[in-house]
Amino acid sequence: MAITLIASLSLCHAQDAQMGALIGQSLSKLQEDSSPEAFQTCIAELKRIDAMYPGSAAPKFYIALQSLNFSVMNPHAEQTEALMAEAEQAIAQLEEIQQTDQSDICTLKGFLYMVRIVQDPAVNGQRYYLDVMNYYEKALKLNPENRLALQLQQKFFEGMNQR
Amino acid sequence: MKHFVTTLILALTTLCGAFAQTHINGTVTDGQGPVIGVNVFVVGTLDGSITDSLGRFSFVTRQTGELTLRASMLGYEDYSTTAESATLRDLDIRLNEKAASLDEVVVTASTYSIGKSNQIKTMDALDVVMAGNSCGDIVAALQVLPGTQKVGENGKLYVRGGDSEECQTFVNGMHVLVPYSTNLEGQNQRGRFSPFLFKGMSFSLGGYGGEYGQALSSVLPMETTDVATSDKLGVSVSLLDWNIGGTKAFQRSSLSFNADLTDLGLYTKLFPDRCDWTRPYRKLSGEAQYKVDLSAKSVLKTYAGYDWTSVGMLTEGRKLSMQEHNVYANATLRTQVGSGCTLFAGIAESAVLSDIDDALVSGDHYHNFRNEVHLKVELQKRFNPLLKMSVGVEDYIRNSVKTYEETGYQLDYHLFAAHWDAQVRIVPHLFLNLSARGERVSYNREWKLMPRAMLSFVPNTRFQASVMAGRYSQTPEDDYIARGRKEIRQSTADHLILSMQYGSARTLLRIEPYYKWYRRLPLLADGTCTADGYGYSRGFDIYLESAAFLKNLTVTAAYSFNDSKRLYLDYTDLRTPEYTSRHNFRLTAKYALGKVILGLAESYASGRVYAAGTTPFYNSLDANVTWLLHPKVIVYASLNNILGRTNIYQIRPDGTPVGATRDRFFYIGIFVSLKNNKAYDISNF
Repeated sequence: MAITLIASLSLCHAQDAQMGALIGQSLSKLQEDSSPEAFQTCIAELKRIDAMYPGSAAPKFYIALQSLNFSVMNPHAEQTEALMAEAEQAIAQLEEIQQTDQSDICTLKGFLYMVRIVQDPAVNGQRYYLDVMNYYEKALKLNPENRLALQLQQKFFEGMNQR
Repeated sequence: MKHFVTTLILALTTLCGAFAQTHINGTVTDGQGPVIGVNVFVVGTLDGSITDSLGRFSFVTRQTGELTLRASMLGYEDYSTTAESATLRDLDIRLNEKAASLDEVVVTASTYSIGKSNQIKTMDALDVVMAGNSCGDIVAALQVLPGTQKVGENGKLYVRGGDSEECQTFVNGMHVLVPYSTNLEGQNQRGRFSPFLFKGMSFSLGGYGGEYGQALSSVLPMETTDVATSDKLGVSVSLLDWNIGGTKAFQRSSLSFNADLTDLGLYTKLFPDRCDWTRPYRKLSGEAQYKVDLSAKSVLKTYAGYDWTSVGMLTEGRKLSMQEHNVYANATLRTQVGSGCTLFAGIAESAVLSDIDDALVSGDHYHNFRNEVHLKVELQKRFNPLLKMSVGVEDYIRNSVKTYEETGYQLDYHLFAAHWDAQVRIVPHLFLNLSARGERVSYNREWKLMPRAMLSFVPNTRFQASVMAGRYSQTPEDDYIARGRKEIRQSTADHLILSMQYGSARTLLRIEPYYKWYRRLPLLADGTCTADGYGYSRGFDIYLESAAFLKNLTVTAAYSFNDSKRLYLDYTDLRTPEYTSRHNFRLTAKYALGKVILGLAESYASGRVYAAGTTPFYNSLDANVTWLLHPKVIVYASLNNILGRTNIYQIRPDGTPVGATRDRFFYIGIFVSLKNNKAYDISNF
């Protein structure tokens, strides 16, 4: 199940323009090269941006998103568990930031459980299936225009139908 | 010309500055070897690199002068150094492992969690339904865990040598006065709540914090599901119960209902038992929930449930007839009131009205009404990753009326309690939970202060060891308070528990020895009740869960040893309570075979000691099958006690054995989702 790179811009609206440019610059490298090494470099750059703007939600959002993107494409890679832990930590940090869009948090949580299912469908399918559904539904309830949630939900349905 | 030269020099200087580069390189280790994947960078820039398989890094930055270099990796403390750029070469960086904070560590000592959590033992509602011999009953499902006691004549929870009343149930933090559906003496009672109500349960076998009180042995806190995101409607049918439930989801809230009728009339006709029923067991239940997300950090949950039970049987020449009305409702609000600060407020009402005709002799009438209002407020504050605290107050307002022929009593009292809890990481890997609970009972104005503590050593994610000690209290049952009045004081139990746990991805092993000292237990003598009873309970529990033996197979094994003695109620000497067995063993296996899930459970308990003799051992081999027939249809069937052993539960004073009313129990049910966008979701609530 491959998830295309989606840049949810909602988080960046209120953020510093320079930070947005840096994030865009970092993410754009993945358009040319989506190898595991390129992902890791991108995530490392996003963490550097996060260190520059420690109170901002956007770098954390993209750290989580790109960590999950890598994990869903490489569910059993050597680095995947570490990146899943990065994603969990970034989501926890986002929840601490008052202004974070709750729809985005729900989307990331749904994505996290979705990766767990991709890693071990037999065991985790039954355990996390409803969580994935509920988080995407909640994300779309809170923001019906959340394209990332829509696209991930669609991918999840496609994946389920293939099973 | 002079102006041109000046301009040229300035331009060259600017160009040289523009292309000045500093080469930064080095190695990152953690004392044991190179660390791979460390993000090493110049703070405030994107310049940096990731360490390779030998821990090496190398990059070029255009920054000059004094720079701050940072090395960052999950699980390690950040490393930072500020120095002249030219000196940042051939660096030897050593990272220190980051000790887990309170948020990252879940101490599981003496607790089994069910639901979605980071804790080791995880089952969801479907697992509860599919547990070997549970038939969808939470209480029966919990009895596969160590520390629980098999007491077949009522099916209630008995934990580590404690009576069933010593285990108390809480829904969203609020107390439930009677968590069981009722039945006649000697008949199995089920938990009154559906497993689908809850997203998580946390069954503590002792050593719990100050938040919970009025439970000498154990607590079962359960958390209801969150606001539903979509509409649901479903029905289920079996040989003995019919159910319909549904949910309407709104933008930020959801409203659910559930109605259930249990009638053993048809079942008893198909599979007769050893009882002479005059009126088959019937229970009509209705439940409703309204939950609303008031904001991103505030949630209001309300629940109301009503059960009506009716049953009658012919026994010893009497036409025993019973009816019960059981109401439970609660409302809780949890909201964030500041940074890291959460406020909880709740109110719960429990009311149980029971009437029995021909209770002891023909023509008599027994009437009992019990009511409890539970009020609670709690404030939790996370000061930093190393310290959390909570304080709370609560009040239990209780009244009960009991009449039997010309005798009876009316009892009104309340119990005020306050608690304080602190969780602190003393040093890396060492955690301390300290709590204190104070209680005052109005009927004898007695104050009681109970300290509790747990020290945990958590060196890594696989192993943890804890030692717990604390004092717990509970008011005796209303009958004994009514008899003893001011003489009867709260019973206490002092717990000392050691817990050791090892868990890998697919295997969990836990060993817990414990010792409990009971004091001030109710003791009956000459028609009055005093608080002169006492006793002890000691033993150990071993629990193993593994999914490592075979793909799609999960096996659990639980063994409990208990040595318990007490002088209480009508005992004339210190002796083993009738409900305890010295040895309890449970083995379960669950195997998924495509869309069919097979379950097997074996339960063994050694004999129970009565004044007139000891019962034979208890043994039951149970099997079940769940068939995911269609995304909207699930079929479940189970057969308890396949071997058909006639289990004996009691020995009467005249030596007559009293056993199960039927040897085997067969159940088949079909669960259908009429409206639900999720496959295999049989929860309509």
